[in-house]
Amino acid sequence: MGMSFLLRRLSYGLLLMLGVVVLNFFLIRLAPGDPAVVIAGDMGGATEEILESIREEYGLNKPVLTQLWIYISGVAQGDLGDSFFFNQPVAKLIGERISPTILLVITAQLLSIMLGVVLGVLAARKPNGVMSAFVSVFSTIGYAVPVFWTGIMLIILFASTFPVFPVEGMQSIKLRNAGFFTQALDIAHHLVLPAFTLAIIYLAQYARLSRASMLEVLSSDYIRTARAKGASEGTVLFKHALRNAALPILTVAGLQFGNLISGALLVETVFNWPGMGRLAFDSILRRDYPTIMGVLFFASMMVVVANLITDISYRWADPRLRGRT
Amino acid sequence: MSNMTDHSAESPALEAWRMFRRNIPALFGVAILALIIVLTLYGQLFYDGDAFDVVWAPHEGPGVTPEFPLGTDYLGRDIVAGLLTGGGPTLAVGGAAALITMIIGISMGALAGYYGGWVDNLLMRVTEFFQVLPALLFAMVLVTLFSPSLWTIAIAIGVVSWPQTARLTRAEFLKIKELEYVTAARAIGARNSRIIWKVILPNAMPPLIVSATLTIGVAILFEAGLSFLGLGDPNVMSWGLMIGANREYILDAWWPVTFPGLAIFFTVFAVSLIGDGLNDAFNPKLRER
Amino acid sequence: MTALLDIKDLRVTFNTRYGEVTALDSVALHVNAGETLGIVGESGCGKSITALAAMGLIPMPPGRIAGGSIQLEGEELTTASEARLRKLRGREIAMIFQEPMTSLNPVFTVGQQIAEAIRLHQNVSATQAFRDAVALLDRVGIPSAAERARDYPHQLSGGMRQRVMIAMAVSCRPKVLIADEPTTALDVTVQAQIFDLLNEIQRDFGVAIILITHDMGAVSEMADRVAVMYAGRVVEQSTADNVLDMPQHPYARGLIDCIPALGKGETELKEIPGVVPPLHLLGAGCAFADRCTLKNARCETEKPLLLNHGHHLAACHAVEEGRR
Repeated sequence: MGMSFLLRRLSYGLLLMLGVVVLNFFLIRLAPGDPAVVIAGDMGGATEEILESIREEYGLNKPVLTQLWIYISGVAQGDLGDSFFFNQPVAKLIGERISPTILLVITAQLLSIMLGVVLGVLAARKPNGVMSAFVSVFSTIGYAVPVFWTGIMLIILFASTFPVFPVEGMQSIKLRNAGFFTQALDIAHHLVLPAFTLAIIYLAQYARLSRASMLEVLSSDYIRTARAKGASEGTVLFKHALRNAALPILTVAGLQFGNLISGALLVETVFNWPGMGRLAFDSILRRDYPTIMGVLFFASMMVVVANLITDISYRWADPRLRGRT
Repeated sequence: MSNMTDHSAESPALEAWRMFRRNIPALFGVAILALIIVLTLYGQLFYDGDAFDVVWAPHEGPGVTPEFPLGTDYLGRDIVAGLLTGGGPTLAVGGAAALITMIIGISMGALAGYYGGWVDNLLMRVTEFFQVLPALLFAMVLVTLFSPSLWTIAIAIGVVSWPQTARLTRAEFLKIKELEYVTAARAIGARNSRIIWKVILPNAMPPLIVSATLTIGVAILFEAGLSFLGLGDPNVMSWGLMIGANREYILDAWWPVTFPGLAIFFTVFAVSLIGDGLNDAFNPKLRER
Repeated sequence: MTALLDIKDLRVTFNTRYGEVTALDSVALHVNAGETLGIVGESGCGKSITALAAMGLIPMPPGRIAGGSIQLEGEELTTASEARLRKLRGREIAMIFQEPMTSLNPVFTVGQQIAEAIRLHQNVSATQAFRDAVALLDRVGIPSAAERARDYPHQLSGGMRQRVMIAMAVSCRPKVLIADEPTTALDVTVQAQIFDLLNEIQRDFGVAIILITHDMGAVSEMADRVAVMYAGRVVEQSTADNVLDMPQHPYARGLIDCIPALGKGETELKEIPGVVPPLHLLGAGCAFADRCTLKNARCETEKPLLLNHGHHLAACHAVEEGRR
């Protein structure tokens, strides 16, 4: 893989992040009212003293471009401002909550891709079969169900009827001091319902997509070649076809990542998952703008990183793209 | 092999309509959606009751009291009344947001695809930038900053969802602008604006109509999500708000959250059946798959 | 002597939206060890379907073998299990295709793809298979074979890719090699090289070749015997010299007439007027009747049978009746 390609994608990612910072800056100033009051948030009791210290810190009395520079250089040094509601630096608040979100989002992403691809491949083997009909109905339904409602329905189902999975939080309080393995198992146990809730919409989409993609690939000449060699049906499907059908799936997986984070916001709220979604929800209710903007910044960064990973893996998966910049 | 039945004399729109008319799931979608729209528009004429009024004991189960067929919520508000009034804002915001999405998306995509070069480059970078922002979160921020009302919610949803429409429009424009009738229009001295809106856009419409339909579905889900989080207009009852408000009590009463959720589901389901039907109608070749 | 590959009275049908359509009807062909059989005809005559049937690769459904037999060294293939066919494919009977551009999997190196073919049928290690693949690439005339083996298909030219396909096809020393229009997608100069290579391969490996083509020039260079197909039937069959020098069936004559003769000063390219009729519109009579200058009432109502006329097998009422 060319270094220049990596460098170019990296610097483009940084440029996008700079764009997010600038957007954040202007959003606060676009909001009606005194920016200092906006930054202090809806606490009702922001004293003139606090407001003055905010004006000082953000340079609100200086020209806009100077303010922008102060803001950008602050972010570059990891300073996203302070949350006046939580009375903590925003970066610290987010740092404590980002791993649960990453855990949830990545688990859901892997779950939906793997199950979706298996469903799609099975369906593609018989384009008019039962499995195909199921995939098509399931994907239409999956698209139409509000994710937060799925979560609530699962909570109702699993809280009383089948109490096999915990429906709230990420860890059992009584296991907080247990060994690493016990804790990991406990977290995985708590992860089942939120991850499945989040995965189900995308699972349906991946199933539909991989069915279509597999159907197209299966009619191509190189599949006929593989059969003519005497390759078994399994080898044809999972080695020759899937490797090629995976390319559009990979593209969509990259594009979907932003939506997945949006979905995680709702799912975290429903399941009381201690991640950035909960933080966003809490800070929005309190109009704690520095925290909201910080969450927007970090969530966008996750998308940028995901896109970068997609780009790189796409070039790995499709040799025709290697060597191009 | 040649097609035995030849409909080439018909206009494409008519042909698409003929296909759509025979698509049972799509017609089913139209029927569900029509029913939902009629119920939300005229339901209150036949069913008395304000969605915000506390009319009965809280958490009365469905079917217990004939007066309140689907029961009451945690405050004792009538759920049927909530369902009937709550659909209006959801549908209105969904429709308006989809309209805004299409306007922004088509304009950006059309300019980028038609002019190419630096215009394309600039607009596509802007599009990519907007795709980096997680849509729901960005919409939450916008709604919070500009105080929630039906209009700010619709605009916020529109502002976060247009990139996909822009990409689709751009791809269509790139394809169509190379065709002969566009060259012909240019040859007779048509102005750029005329070529964009009167020559290319009408020919790009089929996929855009499908995309607009699906956008309505997504916008409805967005509105529901925002209302669920308590970011909707607090003075307007909506399905999402009903779920959000009753969420703390789901283990005591399943019905106040289940029915509004089903209402959202059936609305979006109907819309997506119609979207799939339109897609099949515009691309008859794909159906043989 | 029994033929190596013997197709008798083969009938293949496809379910289409026009109902069940007969793609092959009463097809009889055979190829002996080490010889080359040319199958010629325009597109849509059933040449490729015949090849796919011999490979057991007709997609079912919609396809169906409705009758007849295909025997490879006396073993019946139409009723063989899929597992048995898989063992034969690539090992006993191999195939190369028209489009070298799309017939190789774009995400694997050509070396990997040849090595895979080897390992499917021979019990060798992956490293050994790859070494064998390099040797094969060298054998089919690819320079710096060891490096090229690590290339992906898109990095090679069309001619090189077809050489890769040939290397892959002969990797397990099959007895029959089916080449379905192997040069149609290639430049004229490359075409000649590929034919030379096929001739060499045949000499060295002793493989029987079925060459499917619409290029009579290729047939005259390569084939020992020729079968002419039209609308899913064999209409003429004889030695290559017989067919080329004195074609009997009007369709075969038409094809031969279309070869531009060098040095005769002909500037106009001839062609047979009309097109192959769609299979679902075939009537009771001879499928070629509509394009035939010799047709009479019998041709419209009765299908001619493939009969022996001295040195030729031909299916034509006019030939039967001695009309010219």
